[in-house]
Amino acid sequence: MTRLKTLLTSAALFAALGVTGAMAEVTVLGWPGGPEEAGLRKAADAYNAIASDADKVKLIFFNRDGFFDKLAADLAAGSTDFDVNLLATYALGRYAPFMDPITLPDASKATFPEKVLATMQYDGKQYGIPTDLSLHFMYYRSDLIEKLLSDADWKAKYGEISEKYLGKTLEPKDPDAWTWEDWMATALFFTKSINSDSPTRYGTVLQMKNLLFNMMVWHSVARAQGGDWMNDKGEITVDSPAYRTALDIYKKLYDEGTSPKDSTTYEFAEANAAFGAGQVATMVQWNAAFGDLDNKEKTPAVAGKIGTVAPPAGPEGRFTHIHGLGLGINKASKNKEGAVKFLNWLGTPDAMEIYAKAGGSPALSDEVVAKVSTERPDLVKLGQFAGAYGFVMHGGTAAKALQVYELQAKEFTAYWAGDKSLDEALAATKAGMADLLKP
Amino acid sequence: MPRTSRFEGRLLIAPLTAFLIALLGFPLVLDIIYSISRVGFEDIRAPEPIGFSNYAKAMADPEFWAAAWFSLRFGLIVSVIQVVAGLALAVFLAPLFAKRPWLIALLMLPMMVAPALVGLMYRLILHEFVGAVPYYLLEWYGDFPAFLGRDWAFTTLVTVETLQWTPFALLILHSSYAAISPDVREAAALDGARGRRLFLNIDLPLMMPAIGITFFIRFIDSFRVFDNLYTLVGPGAGGSTTSMSIYIYQAFFKVGDIGLAVAASMLLLVASFVVLWVINGLTARKAPL
Repeated sequence: MTRLKTLLTSAALFAALGVTGAMAEVTVLGWPGGPEEAGLRKAADAYNAIASDADKVKLIFFNRDGFFDKLAADLAAGSTDFDVNLLATYALGRYAPFMDPITLPDASKATFPEKVLATMQYDGKQYGIPTDLSLHFMYYRSDLIEKLLSDADWKAKYGEISEKYLGKTLEPKDPDAWTWEDWMATALFFTKSINSDSPTRYGTVLQMKNLLFNMMVWHSVARAQGGDWMNDKGEITVDSPAYRTALDIYKKLYDEGTSPKDSTTYEFAEANAAFGAGQVATMVQWNAAFGDLDNKEKTPAVAGKIGTVAPPAGPEGRFTHIHGLGLGINKASKNKEGAVKFLNWLGTPDAMEIYAKAGGSPALSDEVVAKVSTERPDLVKLGQFAGAYGFVMHGGTAAKALQVYELQAKEFTAYWAGDKSLDEALAATKAGMADLLKP
Repeated sequence: MPRTSRFEGRLLIAPLTAFLIALLGFPLVLDIIYSISRVGFEDIRAPEPIGFSNYAKAMADPEFWAAAWFSLRFGLIVSVIQVVAGLALAVFLAPLFAKRPWLIALLMLPMMVAPALVGLMYRLILHEFVGAVPYYLLEWYGDFPAFLGRDWAFTTLVTVETLQWTPFALLILHSSYAAISPDVREAAALDGARGRRLFLNIDLPLMMPAIGITFFIRFIDSFRVFDNLYTLVGPGAGGSTTSMSIYIYQAFFKVGDIGLAVAASMLLLVASFVVLWVINGLTARKAPL
């Protein structure tokens, strides 16, 4: 009996110790798969090498598919399974009620530009350390554009095609000087069904799946035309001529066959597969695609032949949608002290240097990015484009911003696929947005 | 039955009853509460009662009816195709299965793959730049349809579902066909029945309960289609491939209107119960044949 009591007491003691140990550990829920996970793993290893046992970081990852929905459910349920979790600019308003604001350490203000720190702010409060920035590049086949700019026959054909399909004779330009109309003419020229001499099957690949992220890609077109979700008075402005023009740019390109037939089911991966196969001349795509596309082992057909510039200009200028991913503190966390320590360290130049070299895509201040520019030249362009062309739609961080993206994705894809007229799609979008964004 | 025995019977069944009440009753009660409340992720623990307006909202939503029609049409079409194909295979391959029963195991393999993976697999196979099907169609005929595009998506989904689940129909119908006593067929043959007449007048009536059950199970499974549809085409352009399951998922997770999502699922539950009760009644009545 005495032995049994001793055993039970020991078991209880070990269990209590185990619980205490688990409580002290900082559990971080990161963005799974891809370079963000690789970067976070390296950063966590570096932190654990200097942190006390009680502050060590443990990483967990969901599947990427449906990540934000699952995270919303966990946060709302008051899950204590993680202390630090992923945040995204477009979901800030959705998650803010379940997260604790943070006080930025001085070091992070030297690490990140002000505009980048702002991607993690909601309602005047800072909710996270920005770990990655996403924006759009105009990707193009540099070998094909080079020939287009120098070959007299191609130039003449380009003028004929632009006259026939766009109603005006255009001349080929350097991609960095493109307007959206120049891009359309280029896409038409490099489409086999329009120009039998085209070396590629399609001039571009449009991501038109009914998916919120595809709206973000398209918004770079809309904003350049002057489109915005709301005006300063809070009135919904999606039925503006600017929105109509931007929607029609995609519609025309799709209807003319410049993009694959299945484009209405395409998103990031499908578009990359099309471009990587060497059968597409241009595409607007997330900056994160560059690494794989320029990798000779993964996409030998195009690696080394890819140029990237900021998206083309419209009447209102040149723009790229930006949003940040970051890490913030779960309100229900049982170890906020440890979580704050980790985030304070993560915001330092040294931590971000490790993160960037391991594959992450942080937008860093000039001083910090200079330390990694040899290994990650793309991060220099990332910071430049974000500063010069970055925008967030008016209302883009609202509590129901994600629902607005979903609504636009549903209605605009209906227009592109021919299920709804432009007026019907815009009217439904405007009514839905007014409901979602009402104060 | 003596009173003591009855008491003992009730006592013995009590734990199972309690378990079922906890397992099914609690979620049902919670669903009923949510369906008559205004509730989102932010106030998931404090739903605000609003009467039956979520039900009215769902019933007035054209997308709810579009999703219901999509699921019904999809469920009926694929169930009929699977039962007919399964029946044909069960009858025509019966001699082969009798000699080489291991072939059945081979034909069951598609059922072993998770539907979500099947969706992803076909997404790759049908992709213009990495898939085998468009590649060879382009090589041989110079063109190919947009398998996942607006005009072909439904046909593609029906084909994918049929390819994966016809083996299930085959399995049940083969068992039913093999279970028919040779004596019955022999007696019919003595009376002069052969070939098609033997099949239509003897085999088919005897297999009707199994056919009904197979259709019943496949319809339930196809009506609630989600995994493969979601990974293959998602809700589709403008929501054109939104099934009831996807409608509820979208309303719950994407729009955050939990009250609407749960009200829609409750309506589906009631409709399903009525349909299943009718089908069950029909098949039960056929059973004595």
